[in-house]
Amino acid sequence: MLGRQRLFWSAHPYDLEGTQEKFLQAVRENCAYHIRHCPEYRAIAGALGFTPGQLRAPEDLAKIPVLPTLFYKRHALFSMPRRRMAMYVTSSGTSGKFSQIGFDWGCIFAEIPMILRLGRHHGLISPKPAHCVILGYKPHKANKTGVTRTMYGLTWFSPPISRTYALHYVDGGYVPDLDGVARALERLSSSPFPTRIVGFPSYLWFGLQRMEELGLQASLPKGSKIMLAGGWKQHYSQQVEKPVLYRLAGKVLGIPEDQIHEFFGAVEHPIFYNACKRHHFHIPIYARIIIRDVNTLEPLPMGRIGLVNLISPLMNATPTTSVMTDDLGYLTPGEECGCGITSPYLTILGRVGLSDIQTCAAGAAQLLGKGEGF
Amino acid sequence: MILAKGSVLQDTELTRILGELGEDIIALRSLPPLAPHVVIDACARLLSRLDRGELDELIYRYATPQTLKALEQYRGLLRPENLEYKLTIETGGLLSAGSRPFGCAAAVPLGTLLHITAGNMDGLPAFSVVEGLLTGNINLLKLPSGDSGLSLALLKLLADEEPRLAPYFYVFSIPSSDKRSLQALADLADGIVTWGGDEAIQAMRSMAPAGCKFMEWGHRLSFAYCAGSPENQELEALAGHIIAAGGLLCSSCQVIYLDTASLDAAYAFCRRFLPILERAASIEHQTPGQAAQATLHGYEHFLELTVAESTAQVLRGRGCSVTLCPDQALELSPLHGNVLVKCLPRQELVRALFPQRGRLQTAGLLCPLEEREELSALLARAGVTRVTTAGHMSEPFLGESHDGEYPLRRYLRVVDREAVL
Repeated sequence: MLGRQRLFWSAHPYDLEGTQEKFLQAVRENCAYHIRHCPEYRAIAGALGFTPGQLRAPEDLAKIPVLPTLFYKRHALFSMPRRRMAMYVTSSGTSGKFSQIGFDWGCIFAEIPMILRLGRHHGLISPKPAHCVILGYKPHKANKTGVTRTMYGLTWFSPPISRTYALHYVDGGYVPDLDGVARALERLSSSPFPTRIVGFPSYLWFGLQRMEELGLQASLPKGSKIMLAGGWKQHYSQQVEKPVLYRLAGKVLGIPEDQIHEFFGAVEHPIFYNACKRHHFHIPIYARIIIRDVNTLEPLPMGRIGLVNLISPLMNATPTTSVMTDDLGYLTPGEECGCGITSPYLTILGRVGLSDIQTCAAGAAQLLGKGEGF
Repeated sequence: MILAKGSVLQDTELTRILGELGEDIIALRSLPPLAPHVVIDACARLLSRLDRGELDELIYRYATPQTLKALEQYRGLLRPENLEYKLTIETGGLLSAGSRPFGCAAAVPLGTLLHITAGNMDGLPAFSVVEGLLTGNINLLKLPSGDSGLSLALLKLLADEEPRLAPYFYVFSIPSSDKRSLQALADLADGIVTWGGDEAIQAMRSMAPAGCKFMEWGHRLSFAYCAGSPENQELEALAGHIIAAGGLLCSSCQVIYLDTASLDAAYAFCRRFLPILERAASIEHQTPGQAAQATLHGYEHFLELTVAESTAQVLRGRGCSVTLCPDQALELSPLHGNVLVKCLPRQELVRALFPQRGRLQTAGLLCPLEEREELSALLARAGVTRVTTAGHMSEPFLGESHDGEYPLRRYLRVVDREAVL
């Protein structure tokens, strides 16, 4: 049962070739664990004729039962009782429904070396204390979302002196305070310590626009960074091109492009994907990605566009070994990036289907997880 | 945003507008009612501006592909001759005084209608107001949350086009959580017209004061009924409808019922229908995203059936699926080109549909011509309100009822007058 720890404690975070055997062993153990402990997973594996023993070569990973994120929203799937879990988090539920995912202690133990190794590889770790401005949710006991946890976690890459939040919990809901953040950033530009801005890209964009409107400009101290996580969520339609965002960050905050770090991950797949200096998400050794045909779900060769299927043996508490996102994307050979990392990188093209689907068929709004707005 | 008496105002004016609304309504009701031709003529003028391309900028700003398709389907219904036809059919001649043994009877506007609209079709809130105007009512419109702004823009155009109409409608973008403002509007209404799902309808029903007429346009379920062995052409039309509507409309086919008790015959039907559905999907799914959505929903459905230990059989195709179910219940399909097939011999039809009788809408009927009359009558007895051919389940028909009712008739009140001898 130590296959997972052997994989996550490996030395080179992007050595996919050198860790194939470790990865397969960890995935075999992980699938066997879920088949033993999660009745729903067992039923699906049975219906698909899957057994862990079939995983002999990297191309066999496509045989692992794939669960769509929608399935986690409809079913709370667990392979162990709640009392044995270290943590229990939910997705942010942008569209009304959310996934419930359990974290076991072994998962936390495996995440630590992953985060430290990748943090060091991408220059996130610094002994110099920093002020933190979080363009996201202030943690609250009523908020169990994974992204809140991630953003809070990101503030620990250097000793945090202070934390300023853009979203405060007031009377049962979150209210934004962008003006407060803008004032804080202006104040922090005269501090001897650097500032680390952690947040949703959409909030950074709105915040920067607001600062520009107000004529505010901050020149944050050297070593200041922007760390972006969580996607554009409900602001999808207002998504801007990355270079536009970077230029504005440079202009308004004085933070150069190479100090802007981006992350990718999902509650169902909490792998710490870091963008390289060319802003590409290379696959680290803790995960594998399969792109699947939009009509047949069969695996596609490198470069073809399809549904993004994320695979990792990280979690024992919830069967998330192979997760199908509702994103379309494609893979590119790592060598084409030129940053030096050789593992393939993932490009996400966007959500599947129309985000503004409306329906008047009885019950369809609930099925689509939209609630019944009126 | 608020639209009041033809002017667009900020939401901050809400309290003032609500404060004055009662007096405005009383003043307007004291005047002779709005004549239908004022509304019909104004719509005609807007339509010709649309035809001349003068409204292209507005359409470009608000319209989604879904809206453009709906506009294409519905614009004919707004033509003057068609609005007049609708008025005649739906009011049954009640607008002009008819003689009665005691004197005469004539319909007058109900008074003030509060429209609570749902966002299932962009521009629909404006259409609901036009129906209220045709019958001479004063209209208070609450826009759905997340409205694109199209309805307000259209109604502003209408007010500019015909200033005589401007006092007859108000548009509010009040959130559903603002119960106090909604209640203030409900208190002024003679009728509440609610579009939407069960939740919206229950919420508004509790706000309707006693004596206020409550009219609901709820969500519905539709299906196809197939007797005998249909021609390929009919099945192609049905497949085209299933893929294009994606199961999302009230009139979309969720289940294909077969007039047989034999699961083997039903399985053979599924095998025959799947490639036809696949061809329709390959034509309709123009982006990888659309195909992916269909495939994901079909796969998800397969997983749901697996964990539920169902004996249903899923036939997965390219960008679509057909599921042969062992039961007879009318239920929502997995949507997006994934359809359910069930056995339902005609003798059991009324019983099987009984639990959903208040929610039924369209039945797409595929059967030999000589049986059409009999089966249509049977479907009507079961509770459906439209029987169409396979490919026309979601087509609007001129003069058709709305879920079995004539809306304009509901927005009127008949006044009997005794003659003085």
